[in-house]
Amino acid sequence: MTLTAELRDLLGHDRVLTEPLERWVYGIDSGVVRGDAQLVAFPETTAEVASIVRLARHYRMPIVARGAGTGLAGGAIPTQPGLVVVLTKMNSVEIDLENATAWVGPGVINLDLSKQTDPLGYHFAPDPSSQSACTIGGNIANNSGGPHCLAEGSTVGHVLALEMVTADGDVLVLGGPAPDPLGLDLRGVVVGSEGTLGIITKALVRLTPNPPDVRTLLTAFSRVEDAAATVSGIIARGVVPAALEMMDQRMTEAVERFVSAGFPTDAAAVLLAEVVGLSAAVDAEAAIIEEVARENNATTLRVAADEAERAKLWLGRKSAFGAVAQAAPDYYLHDTVVPRTKLVETMTRVYEIADRHGIMMLNVFHAGDGNLHPLMAFDSAEEGMLARVKAAARELVEVCVEVGGSLSGEHGIGIEKRELMKLVFNEADLDAQARVRESFDPDAVFNPDKVLPAGSRCFDLGRPPLEGMWV
Amino acid sequence: MGWVTADAPTRSELAACIQCGLCLPHCPTFRLTGMESASPRGRLLMMSAVAEGYSEVNDVFDDLMGFCLQCRACEVVCPSLVPFGRAMEGARIEIAAQLASPVRRFRRLITGRWIGIPWVMRAVTRMARLVQRSVPARFLPPQVRTSIGGLRRLPKRPASSVGSTFTPIGLSGAGVAAVLAGCVMDPWFGDVHTATVEVLRRSGYRVVVPDGQTCCGALAAHDGDAQGTRRLAKRNLSAFASADLIVTDAAGCGAHLKEYGNWVGDAGEILASKVKDVTEVVAEAIADGRLPRLDVPRGKVAMQDPCHLRHAQRIVAEPRAVVAAAGYEPVEIDEVGMCCGAAGMYSMLHPKASRELGQKKADQVRASGSTLVASANPGCEMQLRGHLGGAYRVAHPVELYWEALQAADPTR
Repeated sequence: MTLTAELRDLLGHDRVLTEPLERWVYGIDSGVVRGDAQLVAFPETTAEVASIVRLARHYRMPIVARGAGTGLAGGAIPTQPGLVVVLTKMNSVEIDLENATAWVGPGVINLDLSKQTDPLGYHFAPDPSSQSACTIGGNIANNSGGPHCLAEGSTVGHVLALEMVTADGDVLVLGGPAPDPLGLDLRGVVVGSEGTLGIITKALVRLTPNPPDVRTLLTAFSRVEDAAATVSGIIARGVVPAALEMMDQRMTEAVERFVSAGFPTDAAAVLLAEVVGLSAAVDAEAAIIEEVARENNATTLRVAADEAERAKLWLGRKSAFGAVAQAAPDYYLHDTVVPRTKLVETMTRVYEIADRHGIMMLNVFHAGDGNLHPLMAFDSAEEGMLARVKAAARELVEVCVEVGGSLSGEHGIGIEKRELMKLVFNEADLDAQARVRESFDPDAVFNPDKVLPAGSRCFDLGRPPLEGMWV
Repeated sequence: MGWVTADAPTRSELAACIQCGLCLPHCPTFRLTGMESASPRGRLLMMSAVAEGYSEVNDVFDDLMGFCLQCRACEVVCPSLVPFGRAMEGARIEIAAQLASPVRRFRRLITGRWIGIPWVMRAVTRMARLVQRSVPARFLPPQVRTSIGGLRRLPKRPASSVGSTFTPIGLSGAGVAAVLAGCVMDPWFGDVHTATVEVLRRSGYRVVVPDGQTCCGALAAHDGDAQGTRRLAKRNLSAFASADLIVTDAAGCGAHLKEYGNWVGDAGEILASKVKDVTEVVAEAIADGRLPRLDVPRGKVAMQDPCHLRHAQRIVAEPRAVVAAAGYEPVEIDEVGMCCGAAGMYSMLHPKASRELGQKKADQVRASGSTLVASANPGCEMQLRGHLGGAYRVAHPVELYWEALQAADPTR
């Protein structure tokens, strides 16, 4: 028997892809790294996932879990010839309205869940810009954030329990409906582990009540510094908006061409702020935001008149990455985080780096929590371009770390930022993380090469691998 | 071998996609399968695989491209503005050029040639009528079950409107509206044409159905028959050469006419700029008071948006304005306008996927609580009627308006 034959016995012919052309599309996600998908399997149940894991392990084939493939760091790319387990068919939703929770399959699309719970008065709070396409499984794997995570926190705060298949093919449930489970809280270990510890087959997520009132303000500035000062000013006044998003001029132009939402394309920076809550609080907070924006020389101050206008503004913001293609066929970005007080300084240096390398840069970011997305638009067909972009990206990350920031706010480390981990962690840190991983997955069958740089674990440096081990 | 024709997907069309994936949830076949290879992004990647020499145009490529409905829902949500429909037509032309087969040649004969010959269509109509009258739908093969089952009652002697002229009634001075009769619209949907003509006359147009016109060529284009598509387009170019306004009452034809520029260059571009869907023209006439808003309430109507109206032509408000002016309350059935699965010849080539989508759409209509559905495209209409059965009525929005107009004042 071969792995292909056994998988076909298990799943049937249609749920195992072997044709080179079909496998080709599973060699890439939304990022720029291409891997080698040897086989692609589509389980529908937890039991099938467990069987797939046991089979793949028997045939010593690395396993990479994948949802919608909207990741930007290569997290779902089989860097070693491997089996891609696609979870899009596991998309059941069971809502428990009384407890405001839902058990969801990993393949449920983020926005589909919120659309389903909206008539009941609830939504799933983490709202990555790719929320119309990305899956909850991927959100959990990357501990995804989004514009509204400024107030609501990222995915980890919205996951109560996880069902996962371990490297042995066992099914494990971590956490439960209780807000504070007994013993070590392993949910926090698995959320954000990027598919390196197991395959999530189900999750119990928290549903957030829809706010009674909402106000979305569009402000624009002729200097980026004024926009940044407005961000700090708003938060200094004690207002934590539900979302606080900034776009620079180039980004605004690209976005406006797609949505025609009336974004001012002549402004150096556009700031999108949203406040939610009871009407009186919303009025008061919106007034403060307007005041701070005016103090900082806002050139535009507009409040979305209705839900349609609000939806259009957000559609613009959330389409930003895709709109970059109007400028160039490829883009590359890191989602570094810097302290809010360093926003202006970092931005200036980031633009300098791009200019020095002769690369077009567009900026769009979660300004409220200092989560930058400096986007470099380029054409990979141009010789040496990708190398130049990656060099610039590294410098850019170094600058962010230097001012006291972090590598990634929400996109994950994947393969893209793996080597950069050494900028933030020392050997002992990395070894400790590698040990945690090893305790879940001793043979490194799940998403090998991801997150931790080669050589993180001490034995990588000298100890021979154990018999039968995947390295 | 890569591409061999000048119509192949171009480098800039393919490079426009940066694989963000926002199209995925809007793609009906991705929703059915959860598979990347059945998504717009995946299809563009596979076209790139051919362009870059990683893959040949082979049977697998044919199957994977053939599974696309060409509904173009992906284009609406694409922030990179990828012209997906054009790229897919290019890929289909490559398949037709590189993988000749008797079946494909036969299909090309139908969509590129026979469809443009009136006596052939009349003969087909008589045959279809015979089947319609004698064989219950459930005994028909799945490839044609919903389409024949969903046909309107076919006339014994299909009349043709081609060559006729109609004077304005009441008002005048709106100009001349040249109507595209279409290949199946003319023999099978005579009532829709009647409504179109009569409503246009009453909004002040002199209506002509120019001689020498033929099928728009959409089916040939969707099947990769570049030669047939151009041959049909050229005939229409000369038939409509003097027209200032070209009106269609089939969404698929309108979408294709509006893209003649891709097929026959500048002359096509000029023709395309004159094309309007009848709902656009009628909604405009209602808005500026040339046609009345009728205030007798007529109940609910479920709005089904044909993909080639909503996604390809971005026409959403107009059909709603037309039925509302007729006194109906338009009811939304689907926030994103997912394809009903008819998609031209798709229901015959992929009966299983077509049926699944058709059933979903029928369920959405049933959930709306209305037994009347408005749809502005013949394929969708047949699919809906086929899946909903006799208890439901499916009609063109302008038909509904014409009926209301007659009911309000029988002397008009």
